Amino acid sequence: MKKVAKANLVEVWRKLSAGAKLYIPVDTDGVANFLSWQEGVAVDLETLNTFVPPKKFFYPQTETILRYEIGDELKIEDFACQAGENTIIFGVRPCDVSSMALMDRVYLEDPVDEAYRRRRESTTVIALGCKDPDETCFCQAFDVDLGKAPGADILATDTGEEIVLNAQSAKGEELLTLLDGLLIEATSGDENKVRDAQDKAKSGYETVVSVQGLMEKLDGMFEDPYWEKLYKRCIACGTCTFVCPTCHCFDVQEYPTGNRGERIRCWDACMFSDFTQMAGGHNPRPTQKERVRQRFMHKLNYYPHQHGEYACVGCGRCVRKCPVNLDILEVIKEIGGGAGGL
Amino acid sequence: MREYSEKMQKIASDALEKKEVSLVIGWRKKDFWWQSPVAFVDDAAQARQLVWDPFTVNNPIKYLLDQDCHEKTGVFVKGCDSRGINRLLQDRRLERDRVVLYGVPCDGKVDAAKLKKAFPGQKIKQVAAAGDQLSVTVDGGDESVPAKEYLLDKCQSCRYPNPVVYDRLAWEEVAPRQVSEESRFSRVADLEQIDVDERFAYWSRQFERCIRCFACRNVCPACNCVTCIFDQAEPRWLGKASDMGDTLNYQMIRAFHVAGRCFECGECERICPAGIPLLDLHRKIIKDLNGYYGEYDAGLNPEDNPPLGIYRGEDPAGFDES
Repeated sequence: MKKVAKANLVEVWRKLSAGAKLYIPVDTDGVANFLSWQEGVAVDLETLNTFVPPKKFFYPQTETILRYEIGDELKIEDFACQAGENTIIFGVRPCDVSSMALMDRVYLEDPVDEAYRRRRESTTVIALGCKDPDETCFCQAFDVDLGKAPGADILATDTGEEIVLNAQSAKGEELLTLLDGLLIEATSGDENKVRDAQDKAKSGYETVVSVQGLMEKLDGMFEDPYWEKLYKRCIACGTCTFVCPTCHCFDVQEYPTGNRGERIRCWDACMFSDFTQMAGGHNPRPTQKERVRQRFMHKLNYYPHQHGEYACVGCGRCVRKCPVNLDILEVIKEIGGGAGGL
Repeated sequence: MREYSEKMQKIASDALEKKEVSLVIGWRKKDFWWQSPVAFVDDAAQARQLVWDPFTVNNPIKYLLDQDCHEKTGVFVKGCDSRGINRLLQDRRLERDRVVLYGVPCDGKVDAAKLKKAFPGQKIKQVAAAGDQLSVTVDGGDESVPAKEYLLDKCQSCRYPNPVVYDRLAWEEVAPRQVSEESRFSRVADLEQIDVDERFAYWSRQFERCIRCFACRNVCPACNCVTCIFDQAEPRWLGKASDMGDTLNYQMIRAFHVAGRCFECGECERICPAGIPLLDLHRKIIKDLNGYYGEYDAGLNPEDNPPLGIYRGEDPAGFDES
């Protein structure tokens, strides 16, 4: 376990950014996002969550899959095998670290998504334990410990004047070794401070919900009148899906120009009317009711059936950002749990 | 505030009981102190959930486009909402006799973010209006702060707090706020001062954050096309890739499409999850239109001709000027 004075963090970032692309929460016009670290940027380590979740590092909002040129023969340039430059993300909240495991199940289980795998493997994740959960945080429901992040390569904990860094993987160890001259050995006193900070954070939850039995309860609710009541407020924007760290549905689009072209993959949102629009005109989810139902069923029923875990980490972004206050916390509270394994 | 909520509840339950309407759209309270979402009430017994509080800001009128199954819908309208009604009427998207408008004069709605900033390190539990003060319940007890300092920016520059069209008023009108042209367009004037390159850099930085969720369009009462051009797949007018060119393409076309029809409800800016100051764009256009074609306030009269909806001989021939 190592530590560094907060005042000296900038030297750590300087060193890290020399050997890799370093991303960190940066404030622009009052909005925090993971942006590339550069001298003088307004780093914001106090932000609850970045606006756009860190999924963008492995699964960018837009990525080129291939370029082609049709001549005497068809030339195809495959971009998936070019993905993955050495990247470090500093300051990922524990809920967002948990979301990475959920995304991995989608993109790293057979068939493996090559571009995702390359980006994921070339990235080192430095988590930052939370100090003070917001009322919109409900990660406890999904077994996230907001002071810890077992899925991260390094866990950083704010102990007041210092940041304590604990390596949790070989990648993490390697990075701390690289930073050797800039870090101080942590003492047992620091370990206690970390534990205290984690305990304090944990006692700060204001919103406590349970999802025990929710998946089973939803099994019989596909045709329930509940969705009819719920969806009416939805204005069919894509905010909830785009700010969600676990939403992972995409579209593939062609950008043809003459005899050459580009194929891209981009985030799509099940809230959009054209999401399931078929070429022939039929839409199996004809109204917003089916779309809203799909989003919550996917997270709380279909995904858990397939993977044994809910596809939500309780980060609260959708709660804070939905223009009409329609969010998954409401669904969890209203449908509620019951008996059941998951 | 309670008596205001009770007035709304009575209006709604009476209208539903007498079958004057089969649906009433208003607001209700949700889990958190800053959440007062739109509520759909189709049963008199449920009218009790309706509330009027510092956060009943969402504009309910766009939902009227989806109420074909109701012969008549009742809707509570603040000043801004009522101008949205005129917007839909003028755009021939609403039949006046299919809605009953309950006017709710409004003192402005509170910006939860501003309030949170005023109580750093403290957890706000409840916020209630008490005259021109807000009573804020925090861990340590109740504190009183002047409401007008915590209003949403858009409400601070609101010139029509009273409904401009209604069938009945739920309570007495509020005193109209004095908003000078200078303060209304102050942010626009600031931007106009910046040189072109720097201004482009400013807007690029703002739109860099756009995630293309289309919340600004979907919440906008002036964005009421049956099918939006940006939703068309064939031909596709807007690339789905999140590149800057397409983002600017979308935002510019939207801004120009609502030119002369935008009535500054500011919902686009309020709900933008990326915090993009969209109202500045719309106000810039309004300011320019006022300069070219004379003062015009959209959403006041559904029968008038919006500046870009009519040609007059004396109109400036902008296209000819080089």
